[in-house]
Amino acid sequence: MTRESLHKKQYVSKASFGVLSFQTQVFEITPKNEEEVTNLRQLEREAHLQVFILVGSIPSPFQGRRYMFEFPLQSTGSQSFLGSHEIPYSIMIEDVQTLLDKENEEILFHRTREIKGNFNFGNYHNLEEIFQQMDHLVEQYPNLVSKLQIGHSFENRPMNVLKFSTGGKKPAIWLDAGIHAREWVTQATALWTANKIASDYGKDPSITSLLDAMDIFLLPVTNPDGYVFSWIKNRMWRKTRSKVSGSICVGVDPNRNWDAGFGGPGASDNRCSDSYHGPSANSEVEVKSIVDFIKSHGNIKAFIILHSYSQLLMFPYGYKLAQKASENLTSLYGTKYKVGPICSVIYQASGGRIDWSCDYGIKYSGCCGFLLPASQILPTAEETWLGLKTIMEYVRDHPY
Amino acid sequence: MLARRRPAGPGPTALLLVALLAAEARASWLIRRPLSPSGPELRQAARAALHFFNYRAASPSTVRVLKEVLNGTALIREEGENIKVAFSIESYRTENSQLGTCSALVGFKDHKSRPTVNISCTPLLDQKERKKEDYKLYKQIKQLETPPFETTIPGKLGDMDPSLQPLWELAMIGNSFLMWEKTTSTSSYYYVQQITNIKKWIRPDDFIILHYRLLLHEFRTQEIISCHLHLVWHPEKPSKTQYHCQDSGTQENGSGNSEGSGFL
Repeated sequence: MTRESLHKKQYVSKASFGVLSFQTQVFEITPKNEEEVTNLRQLEREAHLQVFILVGSIPSPFQGRRYMFEFPLQSTGSQSFLGSHEIPYSIMIEDVQTLLDKENEEILFHRTREIKGNFNFGNYHNLEEIFQQMDHLVEQYPNLVSKLQIGHSFENRPMNVLKFSTGGKKPAIWLDAGIHAREWVTQATALWTANKIASDYGKDPSITSLLDAMDIFLLPVTNPDGYVFSWIKNRMWRKTRSKVSGSICVGVDPNRNWDAGFGGPGASDNRCSDSYHGPSANSEVEVKSIVDFIKSHGNIKAFIILHSYSQLLMFPYGYKLAQKASENLTSLYGTKYKVGPICSVIYQASGGRIDWSCDYGIKYSGCCGFLLPASQILPTAEETWLGLKTIMEYVRDHPY
Repeated sequence: MLARRRPAGPGPTALLLVALLAAEARASWLIRRPLSPSGPELRQAARAALHFFNYRAASPSTVRVLKEVLNGTALIREEGENIKVAFSIESYRTENSQLGTCSALVGFKDHKSRPTVNISCTPLLDQKERKKEDYKLYKQIKQLETPPFETTIPGKLGDMDPSLQPLWELAMIGNSFLMWEKTTSTSSYYYVQQITNIKKWIRPDDFIILHYRLLLHEFRTQEIISCHLHLVWHPEKPSKTQYHCQDSGTQENGSGNSEGSGFL
């Protein structure tokens, strides 16, 4: 049951209830005079409740404000609290937990059905589902794909990497996605790409020769804490979820946390900024995990990060390209990071025409940026694949 | 310009030279700088001009989006720069997509907001068609039930319910005004992410009032800026937009209002 559907219900007496979380009961109250407001404030203090005002709510005779309280479900006294303070209320949902359990059941049912059947790459999936699909891929292609955990996030979620290898310790390509939580199409693209690599091996000559010569490491969710947060709390979240005492603002932009031009232009030193670079390079455990892995591996030849919206493809650190390189990739430079919009880089790389506007991002959704409709996941993944393949082929053919 | 050495003292020629030099010192300098059509400066100038155009036209059914920059130059002065740009556009609505071109002169001064814009565009539809489409949208919005407070357009998964599209299109008038105002140079890149907390009602004089919260994304800093907008619109009368923004972390408030006209 969603809050939206609750709002549609008739209000009984002067108050109605909504659901915020399964650990609490939520009450919505419209005070009708100053005295009731005072009572509510007192209640707030006494019962250590969370009170917030619904801004912009439907005007009522008194100040047009509605108040909401969260009561912990364990406390049986919630109703008597309101009663003793003479605040009118009514109950719509007695036991929130049962409702939500039912909802969870449904989701779980659909999820297991999905896994047993075919994973829908054209949908957005939460972290748990992504991890399940990664495990499923390993099960499907045990001789090619394995999973390794290279570290953990701030909130202790695993950094799960898929390794594509035909054996031995070969030079490798590193590919990651989801460094910015809100760019959901990158995690989705990474999953699709993983499946593409695994299923094309042995069928597509290019991928087959690539994997015969090199390994691929793919990290679909570089920022798991941020990703979860963007699902359950704030769709627009970008950074990690690292906390530091003394600051109310959370998180560091992991893509400004690398030890390459740290603190340079484009990064902010303001903790609250979405492009906060962090207290120091590699301060973020997610970034450090990757750096440590790359260093200990010692033979990573290309390092590719997937971004969405700005549709940037970042080219590798340490990736050397001779001046007389293929004209497809003349936008790449020596050891510097080179950033270019996918639409122009891939255009150069694949020689094909990419039919979308870099500027407005995605015309189809009428909006732009990282709120990409799910219907665009597959076209995005397929287009990205053209560019990725070209880069990987190039790396294979020009080892340094 | 080299002065030729002449022997001895002041004469009529010397006087003339002095006068010319003085005149030059008073005039402000001007540099003409050609810009690449594929570069960001011309794109941003074109977008700023188009935001201005879309808000002034106040025609939600014929909102234009930038297709391609054709050419342009920057004229740089001491106080700022003027950018002349020609570009192709297409209609936001993709069914029966229309094409057109625009040419604009955009003036940025000292990184101040509200760049001056002189723009002219080829019409997308003839005036009668446009009026018809705007009235169609007007009726749709009037009849539409206000979506729940928490509804976002587009949704979390980037989806946009077709029944909500008229609200999105109308909001573009207000959003265009805001983005035009906020553009202070060719390196401010504002994009609309989402609108939410939508309230709509009809005034006794038949104007539609749209009140909503806008999440604006600034590309360079990656910040999401939250604004409240209040848009007053009628298909044939001057519209009005007011807004109030809060920059995350900096607690800055801004507001402004304007009058658009449906007569462009």
